[in-house]
Amino acid sequence: MKKVFLAMTMVLAMVHPVWAAYPEKPIEVIVPSPPGGGTDIAIRLLAEVTEPFLKQKLVVVNKPGGGGTLGVSLLTQAKPDGYTLAGVWNSPLTASPHTLQVAFTPDDYQPILQISSAAYVLCAAPDFPANNARELIEELKKNPGKYTYGNDGVGGTMQLAGERIFKALGVKVRPVPFGGAGETAKNFLGGHVTFYGGSVPPIMPHIKAGKAKALLLTSAADNAALPTASGLKALGIPQEETVLWRTIIAPKGVPAEVLKTLEAAFRQGASQPRFKEFLKEQGEELVIAGPAEVNQLIREEYKALGEVAKDIGLKK
Amino acid sequence: MQTLQFLWDGFVIAAQPANLLYCFLGVLWGTVVGILPGLGPMAGMTLLLPLTFKLDPAAAIIMLAGIFYGAMYGGSLTSILVRIPGEAASVITCIDGYEMARQGRAGPALAIAAIGSWIGGVLSVVGLMLFAPPMADAMLKVGPPAEFVLMLMALVVMSFVSSTAPSKTIAMILLGLAVATIGMDPITGFARYTYGNLRLAEGLSFVSIALGLFGVSEILLNLENVADIKAIRPSFRSLWPSRKDWKESTPAIGRGTLIGFIFGLVPGVSHIISTFVSYVVERKLSKHPERFGKGAIAGVAGPETANNATTGSAMIPLLVLGIPAIPATAVLLSALLIHGVQPGPQLLIDHPAVFWGLIASMVIGNVMLLILNLPLVSVFVNILRVPYPYLAPAILLISVIGVYSVNASPLDLWLLTACGVIGYVLRKFDFDVAPLLLAIVLGDRIEMAFRRSLTISDGSYAIFLEGPAVKVLLGGAVFFAVVLGLARLLGYGRDSNGFEKPA
Repeated sequence: MKKVFLAMTMVLAMVHPVWAAYPEKPIEVIVPSPPGGGTDIAIRLLAEVTEPFLKQKLVVVNKPGGGGTLGVSLLTQAKPDGYTLAGVWNSPLTASPHTLQVAFTPDDYQPILQISSAAYVLCAAPDFPANNARELIEELKKNPGKYTYGNDGVGGTMQLAGERIFKALGVKVRPVPFGGAGETAKNFLGGHVTFYGGSVPPIMPHIKAGKAKALLLTSAADNAALPTASGLKALGIPQEETVLWRTIIAPKGVPAEVLKTLEAAFRQGASQPRFKEFLKEQGEELVIAGPAEVNQLIREEYKALGEVAKDIGLKK
Repeated sequence: MQTLQFLWDGFVIAAQPANLLYCFLGVLWGTVVGILPGLGPMAGMTLLLPLTFKLDPAAAIIMLAGIFYGAMYGGSLTSILVRIPGEAASVITCIDGYEMARQGRAGPALAIAAIGSWIGGVLSVVGLMLFAPPMADAMLKVGPPAEFVLMLMALVVMSFVSSTAPSKTIAMILLGLAVATIGMDPITGFARYTYGNLRLAEGLSFVSIALGLFGVSEILLNLENVADIKAIRPSFRSLWPSRKDWKESTPAIGRGTLIGFIFGLVPGVSHIISTFVSYVVERKLSKHPERFGKGAIAGVAGPETANNATTGSAMIPLLVLGIPAIPATAVLLSALLIHGVQPGPQLLIDHPAVFWGLIASMVIGNVMLLILNLPLVSVFVNILRVPYPYLAPAILLISVIGVYSVNASPLDLWLLTACGVIGYVLRKFDFDVAPLLLAIVLGDRIEMAFRRSLTISDGSYAIFLEGPAVKVLLGGAVFFAVVLGLARLLGYGRDSNGFEKPA
């Protein structure tokens, strides 16, 4: 009886491929951070604008822990049927695996679509003796190890992005890790560290109020909203770019047709005016890239940040 | 005059029926998460955050802020009735609040906690209105060195709070600091005592430790003589604080407000530290310090007022600088950002409706909480009528659910169990678990502040004597030490500093 049943299911499976009607039930999207973070908000909104194109619910579940690596671990252990995805920022994929013991490598998941990109910025107090990136580098070269910069946390993308650039420029600045960009901003404004290192939105109002001047971006390109700051291209080291970006990923082994369906739906979702406007308000750029491109980005960034982590003694 | 006009506009916004409703839902939910052990304001706010995406910004922040200060009201309930801190800021309330309940005075304890909370909450909103910009500037001056000095002082002060001998208290503080090193090294990222476990790398869950050390150990202790525990039957006449209670509580509430508002300047753990400091101050100033630990109402009134008074000043860095100083205001920040409202220097100009609407709603919300909490006192004290053989398993069950709900981590349940047993053994040997808990809470922050300071100064310890904030703190500490020393020399000293063993 059991065998007959098994045979019947197999026949059924052949004539009726599982993905034919995909998606036939709600899809879970893991966000590996607590509710209310930048990624959480972005992914929730993306889910909302993408649902009409998938004709299914996208249910966002928060699985914080281990700097985002816990949620990614859960994703890699999920059934690769297309009903469990994750919306992540790059840190748990390319930065944290070098400093934390994680149970996955870039081979255990596959990217579906990159949706955003945002540079980190280095800001100084108004009285700092440099008004642009070139003067900043000169000042740093004259005083190795004299200045401090606050960052988002030890081994975080911001610190590794900063160290990557400082190494390429041949300068030394002492990192002071804080619990996030807000705490960094507070200590920077209070004059406890020389530089603010972190994402643009928390410091933007203070730049506008003249309490901070933006000098350096971790992206290759310049940013029109921050005319005093230079990107890495202007400094001749565009290859050292590390930015904050977000992507949708799936466990390894999801059928190709399912991935295609998802990619198409998320592409349409991300190009909705509501999503574009949201990113603009957050000071981020809409950068859409497909699986192959993101895969390459992850591997390159993973390798580069691994070297940086090793150089500064963070690698486990 | 213009400020009054703005404030009036704020009340008009806050008094719109929809906003009143969201305010009420917020404070109600806040009270509930405050009562439930394990769930704190953070969990309460993040649970409802997605719902606020569809509200207008004023309504969203009014509701979320309501959860934040509402939780400070609810936290005292389980502390007083069953000696389980419903929330970290109510740990100290366990000491005298629970003793009062055992003496059949749960009613006055709960009532004074609610009234103190109300006064502290409302006055801190007034403070927020009047002093926001200068307070924000002062807050920026508190950098890592000042944070370190302040937290160190809190630990020193703690050795006076404790009802046990200083040697035992210091042992507990050192143990707590050692336990707090579990997790990732804050500067080098090195994993300490984690055995490759990601959950351990984040450090130990405070909720599990607090519930274990206080709640589970209490139940274990009571199991020894469960036959002797009679359900307490509070008489309804004794629900309201007596004239004597008022006389003892009023100054405590006043001082609690001031302490809470000022300690709101400390990032991260202000609401917890302020309760400990308030308790010590009340004990030092009391004419009957020997009654502390045995049901002194001032030991409930002061701390419960102080933790609410921090809520107003905790809003200041968020609203004035756009920088959240504590996790709960970080949630408020994201709620505002979702709606395209950037808090900070421009908030008052760009979104006056949000700013003044929030301030007015905090006044209204605090009134709602008082109306909500006072009549409920007579309902809640009936929990004590439940016979202990039924009450104890129920408390355990709620604790387990509460702990699991925070991180959904089985590890936290083991931690709860282990801390329950450890707490039981420690208390059997007359060790006080409150300093242990405070040291665990402050441990990683104190280490972080210490090592950040040394990174900033490039290894020079002189940084702990520099800067205006540090000087003010050290000056204050020296002043009080000298005054107390002189008082003792001149014969005003009391021997009853309260080192007697608990009965």
